[in-house]
Amino acid sequence: MNLEKVIFSFFMILALTLNFGFFYGDVHNPDHHNIYELYAVIVINLIATILKFGDRSQLGAMLLATSLVANVQLISAAIVWAVAAHMQEAGVTVATMATIVSLSGGAVLANIISVILLVLEASILRR
Amino acid sequence: MNPVTSLILRQMRAPLIVVVAVFSIATLGMVLIPGVDDQGNVWRMDFFHALYFVSFTATTIGFGEIPYPLTDAQRLWALITIFFSVVGWFYAISKIISLVQTPIFKKAVIHSNFKRSLNQIHEDFYLVCGYGETGTDLVEWLANKEIRCVVIDNNPEAINTLEIQNYLSYVPGLEADAKIPEQLAYAGLSRKHCKGIIAITNSDSCNLKIAITSKLLHPTTTVICRTEHKDFENNMKSFNTDHTINPYDTFAHNFAMAMKSSSLHLLNEWLTGVPDTSLNMPIDFKPGHWILCGYGRLGQRIYETLKKHNHSVTIIDTIADLKQDFHRKFPDDDTDFIIGTGTDEHTLKLAGVENAVGLIAGSDNDSNNLSTIMTAQMHNQHLIIVARQNEMINQELFYSSYADIIMHPSEIVARRIRTLLVNPLLITFLDECFLQSNDWINIAISKISGAISEVKPHCWTIDISRDAAPAMYRTLAMGRKVTLKNILKSPIQRQENICCLPLMIERNDKKFLLPAEDFIIQTGDKILFCGIGQAEYHVSHCMYDIHSLNYIMSLKNAPDSLLIRYLTGSTKQKRRNND
Repeated sequence: MNLEKVIFSFFMILALTLNFGFFYGDVHNPDHHNIYELYAVIVINLIATILKFGDRSQLGAMLLATSLVANVQLISAAIVWAVAAHMQEAGVTVATMATIVSLSGGAVLANIISVILLVLEASILRR
Repeated sequence: MNPVTSLILRQMRAPLIVVVAVFSIATLGMVLIPGVDDQGNVWRMDFFHALYFVSFTATTIGFGEIPYPLTDAQRLWALITIFFSVVGWFYAISKIISLVQTPIFKKAVIHSNFKRSLNQIHEDFYLVCGYGETGTDLVEWLANKEIRCVVIDNNPEAINTLEIQNYLSYVPGLEADAKIPEQLAYAGLSRKHCKGIIAITNSDSCNLKIAITSKLLHPTTTVICRTEHKDFENNMKSFNTDHTINPYDTFAHNFAMAMKSSSLHLLNEWLTGVPDTSLNMPIDFKPGHWILCGYGRLGQRIYETLKKHNHSVTIIDTIADLKQDFHRKFPDDDTDFIIGTGTDEHTLKLAGVENAVGLIAGSDNDSNNLSTIMTAQMHNQHLIIVARQNEMINQELFYSSYADIIMHPSEIVARRIRTLLVNPLLITFLDECFLQSNDWINIAISKISGAISEVKPHCWTIDISRDAAPAMYRTLAMGRKVTLKNILKSPIQRQENICCLPLMIERNDKKFLLPAEDFIIQTGDKILFCGIGQAEYHVSHCMYDIHSLNYIMSLKNAPDSLLIRYLTGSTKQKRRNND
């Protein structure tokens, strides 16, 4: 067992699960989507991205790309939330919530691809 | 991915993770710990404000406790935040800085820059191996002629010197060992634009290795090699190295030229020298006694030339073995061979300096050569002095000495390569001149001095082909008759002739030396000109530009635009019918 691989996979899968957890629920209902969970998803995703830095293989490049996509989606979701909460009089409306959740939904997709690639890589490796 | 970026990213993983971790924990703490607003109500920072607070704290900007003053619990957390985040932040920054300073990173940057500049070369270039005296001389000239070249040298000092030069076109340089085929290929040998490789390192074996590598990996590239030993030269020639240049042989050939006819020597000096430098004066070789100081590679060749022209010679050299070799090689020769340095009065007098006509200071030590020249000059004012200069730094000294001919191996090699690369026709011309009579050469010299000013002329070749001279090609294709006289007019004022002289025309292996003014030019001709720098520009311009060519040939300009051509087309047709 390789500790580096464990940590690597841990962060990638955790990013997916947390992301899914935030995304799961009624799109319009703010009660179904916890802000702490979004925060955790962003942090974990950033760490997962950094872990993928500097790999020169084709697979490594694709893994990094999926993570970057997830980051872009999640950080835009966070910015939308911050703008709605602090800079708009109406606050976080149902429509805004829908935008945030759908953005995180895109990130879920990116994270799923990332995990699929991880599984593929593991299955190609001979045990 | 670029190796440099990849290297940075891989090294930055740990510091970046530390920064993200510290920031996220600090932000989360700020959100979770309750505070109080200005009304005294319980107020929690949200993520937006918490991240803002942590960011300005971690980067030591420190805007203060905003939006509301912190409670004691928040201050405790802020304290922890400050210590951890500031440390984490500085750790990341110091890691980047130390990474930039590591030799491996510097090397990666240099290689990546070199590769990028190679990729940007989209035209033919020459790979110059060795940036010593010859290399510096040659590269400067090539770069200022806007002929692209790439330099490799195993000496980092040489590459650093190249970096700070300000040439007209950029010359990429790489510190690499040309003996290693892989590095030679990396430096550009394997690229399709690599037109030729010039091996001018100071080691014959290294040059040989470069020639072998190039001929094996890229048989089509031209290989030019400097060599100082006969066996290496034969070795290089055995596998079709395109040109080998031996400075001693080349000089001995020039010396033989000078012995045969001083005009021929003058012609050679004028045409192959650096353009726009002052003209050499003719040297008159009288028959008589010669003193040869230094019987090394140069001395041996010069000795043979002197003997061929029936001069009596006295040889001075320090090495006794050479004397034995000499007597073994020429058992019947009664030439004096004195063991000594030639720098002292005694030896020179013994060699008969007072009655000699010429002296050759040909040792491989510049100070000795200069000393010999000065001592000899004191005893005989009318000596013809041939000096061998070994190092570029002594250039000034040799110029101010009394030497009539200076033999500088690096300069000779550089000059020969220059001619080979841009003006191979000039070499043919000089070879042809070697076969001509003295009177003919004198006529040539007087014609050239009529065409040029007080400085050495530029020499250039014009190839009458579709690519190299499109305007001329079109004119000839139309069936017009063009003579040399027609094109030697100034495109600014056609009544004026330009200061240049056609030296030779090559047509299908036939050579016409000093063609007359009414010589009719044909497609496929190669014309060698010499003249002032402006003339080169004017002639080349007219070969490209049909309007200028028509102007100097006093022809009406044909309309270029489609509409005008259409409108005038019908009238032209009529006129032709009337004719």
